[in-house]
Amino acid sequence: MTAPQLLEAKAHPAFLDTCVSAHRHRKPPNRRQIVDTLDSLVNKALSRRNFLAGAGAVAATAAVTGCSNTNTTPVVSGYTDADILNFALNLEYLEAQFYLYAATGKGLAAADTAAPTGYTGSYTMGTVTTTGNIAVGQVAGLTPAQQQILNEIAYEEQQHVRFLRSALGSAAVPMPSIDLTFFSSLAVAAKITTSATGATAFTPYDNFNDFLIGSFIFEDVGVTAYSGAAPLISAKGVAAGYLTAAAGILAVEAYHAAYVRTAITAIGINTNSAAYINIANQVATLRDTLTVGETSSVETKLVLPATVTSPSAIVAAAPSNAVGFARNVNQVHHIVYGNAAVGTKSGGFFPNGTNSIFATTTA
Amino acid sequence: MANQETQLVDELLLKGRRRMLTLGAASLAGMAFSAVAPRSAQAATTYTDNDILNFALNLEFLESNFYYLAAFGCTIDKPNAAAITAGAPSAGIPITGSVGTAGTVSGGSKVPFTTITAGSYATETAIEEGKHVIALQSALGSLAVAQPAINLGTAWQMLAAAANTLTPAGNIPATFSPYTNDNTFLIGAYVFEDVGVTAYHGAASLLTGSNTTLPVAAGILAVEAYHAGLIRTSINALDPTGSVGLQGYTTSISNLRAALAYKALLGVATTPSTTYDNNPDDYGLAPVQVSLAGAANVTATHILDADLTASDPINSICFARNTTQVLNIVTGGGATNAGGTAVVSPATGVFFPAGLNGLFK
Repeated sequence: MTAPQLLEAKAHPAFLDTCVSAHRHRKPPNRRQIVDTLDSLVNKALSRRNFLAGAGAVAATAAVTGCSNTNTTPVVSGYTDADILNFALNLEYLEAQFYLYAATGKGLAAADTAAPTGYTGSYTMGTVTTTGNIAVGQVAGLTPAQQQILNEIAYEEQQHVRFLRSALGSAAVPMPSIDLTFFSSLAVAAKITTSATGATAFTPYDNFNDFLIGSFIFEDVGVTAYSGAAPLISAKGVAAGYLTAAAGILAVEAYHAAYVRTAITAIGINTNSAAYINIANQVATLRDTLTVGETSSVETKLVLPATVTSPSAIVAAAPSNAVGFARNVNQVHHIVYGNAAVGTKSGGFFPNGTNSIFATTTA
Repeated sequence: MANQETQLVDELLLKGRRRMLTLGAASLAGMAFSAVAPRSAQAATTYTDNDILNFALNLEFLESNFYYLAAFGCTIDKPNAAAITAGAPSAGIPITGSVGTAGTVSGGSKVPFTTITAGSYATETAIEEGKHVIALQSALGSLAVAQPAINLGTAWQMLAAAANTLTPAGNIPATFSPYTNDNTFLIGAYVFEDVGVTAYHGAASLLTGSNTTLPVAAGILAVEAYHAGLIRTSINALDPTGSVGLQGYTTSISNLRAALAYKALLGVATTPSTTYDNNPDDYGLAPVQVSLAGAANVTATHILDADLTASDPINSICFARNTTQVLNIVTGGGATNAGGTAVVSPATGVFFPAGLNGLFK
């Protein structure tokens, strides 16, 4: 793509869509490929832009041979640091609402979901769906210890919403509409249950173990989303501390994911049954399916250790090189929409789509 | 899967071999949003990637031997039948290198595990830690440092004593040993794991000027945090109310780590505190009070190692430490600033009685 074309692309997002859609078959690189790419990038001291193309981020899908030359320069260049942080904010809205409802039966305060003062964007504040196939509310039958764990995670996700909104200032997008009943439909897609409604429908709100499964749906994804998005932050954003903040939140998500994976593994050990481990692994299989474009699995299945000398599988990382996984913004959207179709704009946990420049999947 | 990140460090840094990195306060200018902003210089201000790898190798020697001893009752260079059955190389892992004379490991013994949770964790981690040593040695080739002298015996009692001299005093028994049972083993692992999170978070910050190291640093950080989360979750499950005593140990250890990390900044920070607790960068598992949108002042666990108090405007985000702070923790204060601007070097003490091999020491 020539420089004038790049400029045109920046100015006309529709042009980008055309370019990208013409090359949907191009798969983003997996983590292994990313590391290989790093090799050449370090040695050749290539530009940040080229790095992004190799990083499996949204830009990686935009090598537009049909629209220009066969270079790997990303053309999805219209995003800003605020867009990256707002992408994360959408996910934090979802996580915070889920955990807050699970912990207390109530969601985020209005002050934490409305468009901030001075907001000039076009997104509007949505609503939270709490009735439908299943009833959303505080998880039933919690022991005091379990309640305290929910309180902690809910608090941390709530604080992440507040932190990102603070960092973004007037650029923070308001909360999109969120459907917290989607779990039952997702469970059907994962072949955990056969009905999204009625007595056999899956709900994370009826007991602590099922809550853990609901949590499992999010947590590893959050880790991979931050891993994939952090490198997209510009040098200016890095200087502003966005990157350090993102890295710090990434670590928190991994702590949360480790909690959930450890807890589900412990259920298996304590009951000598792989029932919940198998359910979680069905979720992982579905997430793999929805990670459109992956060339190898970005999931590590849980295992039930048989003896004190059997290894567990708490950490989710590539078996070949132990690299923590990353997902690009399209892959994350496919998962939260529960839809692998390219061009999906909404659905699943976000019935009206995310309030993000990346809301429509382009690959 | 402990410290898989070292494989990544290996892989990543080899790609950028000889790429000079200048670290220090200036590099930290971008940490405005960080939960903690280390202000000191590194132990060395300029170094090559190989120096970083060798620093990591020193730490891997420490951790791998700890887990080998705990899981199998042997050191990495002399695997026994149990270790080989679990996947250890039958010929043992080399401990010699071009820098330093191979040191010995003192102390340590097999933990009589009775729970699958702790045992499976130890087994898995031991094998992986050993592989990391091999991977680093392979990456460094003839430049790999030898295993430094390692103390995995009386070092634990030294740590306990150090924790107990703090204010408030720690409550770790003077005779503490991680090899006693499943619970004490988890406490021993706790000593190491959160440190890794802060170290790689700090490294990610320092590497922000690079377009290439960042994504891998993020992956490293994630794996480290997974592992820290595993340990903290396991201990919390064993002692959710503190009645067993494990929770108190975690608080003591975290207080000590925070104190040692802060000590590394003395002479650089403008007004060092004498109590170290005015800005702690480490928290144990004692529950805290938090306020949720729909429920004010409720009790929450503290599985995440971050500040969860509302008075901190930037809370619920993990901490970051620089290499001097990490060195100060693993040597029990051996890298403490002498009161001027230089860090005492070589740092010796606790786990590394003769110091580390390589530039960072």
